[in-house]
Amino acid sequence: MELTWELVAFLGFAVMTLGSGLMVVTSSNLFHSVLFLMTSLFGVAGLFVLLVAPFLAAIQVLVYIGAIAVLMLFVIMLTRQVMSRPELYNQQMAGALVAAAILFLALLFVLTPLADEIGGDVAQVNAEVIAEADDAPDVDYITVEELGRAFVTRNGFVLPFEVTSILLTAAMIGAIVVAREDEA
Amino acid sequence: MVPLWMYLVVSAGLFSIGAFGVLSRRNAIAILMGVELMLNASNLNLVAFWRYINPGEINGQVFAAFVFVVAAAEAAVGLALIISIYVKRHTVVAEDVNLLKW
Amino acid sequence: MISAELANNLLAVAPEILLTLVALVVILADLYLPAENKRITGYIAGLGLFGIAIATLILVPANQSLVLDNTLDTVEEQLLWGGMIRSDDLARIFRVMVIFTGGLTCLMGMGDRRLNYKAEFYAIIVIATIGASLLSAAADLVMIFIALETVSISLYILSGFIRLPVTPGQEAEQFAMRSAESGLKYFLFGSFTSAFFLYGLTLIYGFSGGHTNIYEIGQAFGAAGTEGFENVVTDTIPLLFALLMVTVGFGFKISAVPFHFWTPDVYEGAPTPVTSYISTVSKAASFAVLVRFMLAVFSPEELLDVATSSYSEWWVQLFAILSVVTMTLGNLLALVQRNIKRLIAYSSIAQAGYTLMGVAAIATTQAGDGAASVAFYMFMYVFTNTLLFAVVILFTNATNSETIADMAGLSRRSPWLALAMTLALLSLAGIPPAAGFVGKFLLFRAAVDSGLTWLAMIGVLNAIVALYYYLVVVKVMYVDRSEDDDVPINIPNPYPLVIGTSAAAVVLLGTFLITPLNSWAEAAGLDLFRLIS
Repeated sequence: MELTWELVAFLGFAVMTLGSGLMVVTSSNLFHSVLFLMTSLFGVAGLFVLLVAPFLAAIQVLVYIGAIAVLMLFVIMLTRQVMSRPELYNQQMAGALVAAAILFLALLFVLTPLADEIGGDVAQVNAEVIAEADDAPDVDYITVEELGRAFVTRNGFVLPFEVTSILLTAAMIGAIVVAREDEA
Repeated sequence: MVPLWMYLVVSAGLFSIGAFGVLSRRNAIAILMGVELMLNASNLNLVAFWRYINPGEINGQVFAAFVFVVAAAEAAVGLALIISIYVKRHTVVAEDVNLLKW
Repeated sequence: MISAELANNLLAVAPEILLTLVALVVILADLYLPAENKRITGYIAGLGLFGIAIATLILVPANQSLVLDNTLDTVEEQLLWGGMIRSDDLARIFRVMVIFTGGLTCLMGMGDRRLNYKAEFYAIIVIATIGASLLSAAADLVMIFIALETVSISLYILSGFIRLPVTPGQEAEQFAMRSAESGLKYFLFGSFTSAFFLYGLTLIYGFSGGHTNIYEIGQAFGAAGTEGFENVVTDTIPLLFALLMVTVGFGFKISAVPFHFWTPDVYEGAPTPVTSYISTVSKAASFAVLVRFMLAVFSPEELLDVATSSYSEWWVQLFAILSVVTMTLGNLLALVQRNIKRLIAYSSIAQAGYTLMGVAAIATTQAGDGAASVAFYMFMYVFTNTLLFAVVILFTNATNSETIADMAGLSRRSPWLALAMTLALLSLAGIPPAAGFVGKFLLFRAAVDSGLTWLAMIGVLNAIVALYYYLVVVKVMYVDRSEDDDVPINIPNPYPLVIGTSAAAVVLLGTFLITPLNSWAEAAGLDLFRLIS
């Protein structure tokens, strides 16, 4: 594999995503966790750009970083007094580590050609499809217009689109009812 | 071009990191962050598969966009519940929420 | 003038459109009604849902279009809204079930004084029902995910719904805290498992060559490697992995055993009408989508156009094992419970175990018996559990206690309530004439017919164990004495309606309605085995 600018960018964003992801779950200060969450999500947005999905990258920045992570920041500040508990992890931290490691290895085994080397001929696991997909077909950008149309055409996704509006209404009403302190 | 499996490895890593966070952290907000990492891993999967396997159709990107909406709704409700429990008990430590308890 | 095609599409989601209208009316009514009349919103929601359920039952025949000479016979014609939903008999049977039970839950909520007659409660119940109703019909990964999350997110809210009381009081504060804790717990478990579920769905999307419609995915998996399907994964292990991850999500929703940890705590802490909703509607809709999803995505060979590979045997084994573990553990842990809501929690885990037996049987009984038995069992189960919870609410309101021992003398305090409770318990235990007997019989028969005789035998053994703890409750109500023996229990409106309706349903489903419901369920099962041409 030759070193192209694309590979360099990919590696950069991948390290950014995974590295900050690790910091999210390991840093003892929740503020730092949230900030690392933002960088990790930004890394994912970068990967979206490399995958020719610029619109999703934009929503990723706007919705995830701009709304969800900031919301978390607010809640952390609201519940601040109890944030300085010394113990970061619960008692099952070691078990969780093992479980996560097994999960990762299993996913690697399932998803990558590396499985060939690990698994021998147990199964030609490499899911040939995935192994061979190193050259994606050239595509035109999917424009915002196309995406927008897919959301509102009858043979597209209009039904789930309408249902999400109901879901968001429920979430909004619910969040207010649950979080509001009792009315006087 | 970067092969598909490399994207999938990043997604698998992100998913496992998120799962570790959910299983091991005590603070409910930290657990929620772990869940967000896991959802992002799924989205990365979707977009990568869409790009390499079936870029002719739009469904992969649309699916990913729906995941954003659900993640936002979930985060809003989750944080509201966390605030509610903080108001009532002055703690957000999810110690009782012991995921591996029999 | 709308075209016939559009009319068909609209008719297929008519229940959801009407449900949305009911939710809006409830929210608006809450704005304009004076405080002392806000309770009416409960009647609007409850009776509205009854109306919609009956309309769905009578007016919307699944495979008939508005234009009479055009029946929706083939799978392609039943797939509407661009393949988002499949409007067939299975969808209809489960829609009637969940919408009707949702209505019962709304009316039930009116009697729980801790919910304080909040209109938001009814609105969110109705919205959760929209999700459940769509889930019964969903035929696309996107639709399944959105519908499932609509149910889940609504229920997270409802579990943590009870606020701190305006006037401080030890006991009321206790309830508010338990509710908040149960909501948070439900949320954390739910979002964790739904992340697994979603990851599994994305794997299925990728492995199938980029399809989201479950019927297209099934055909692609079956024809993997042949012309036109070169980009479909042919190896078994990746597909099994995706299957496992999806099962985590379904297992959570139906509280099957390795994913059941949340069940007792959430059932105990959530407001009782919400507990009832979680154990009935949410579970039933999840079973509907589980049956449809497994048959379509990992189809048995008979359902495949080109069958180079079939994965159905894997999940048949998986669900058979899950069934054994779930019912055995549920029943054993139920034996030691002292709190009635925890007892029902473990009992409902065991009931999910029995139903999984039917799920394991769907691929191998070609007549559709397996799917039919699941539909029948869930139909009678939702009414039975609603009946049970309605009595439990009245009982806790009267005694302020949820322990089984405090139910002593219920038969003397209120003979009718005791009788209703006995009926529900007998139905869960599977004793005729209550409907549970027929339900269990159909499940066992489906298992035996598909060569899972060992599974049916374990099921029978479990039913015998379960008989013990159900009868203990009956014994406490009828034999044990308490100090309040002569204090009658008040049955406020609209509880006579709730209890009467569900008790009538339990009795009728075990007697006169067996044949109509069973033939309807069998038609639904057969529908699932229609080939995509």
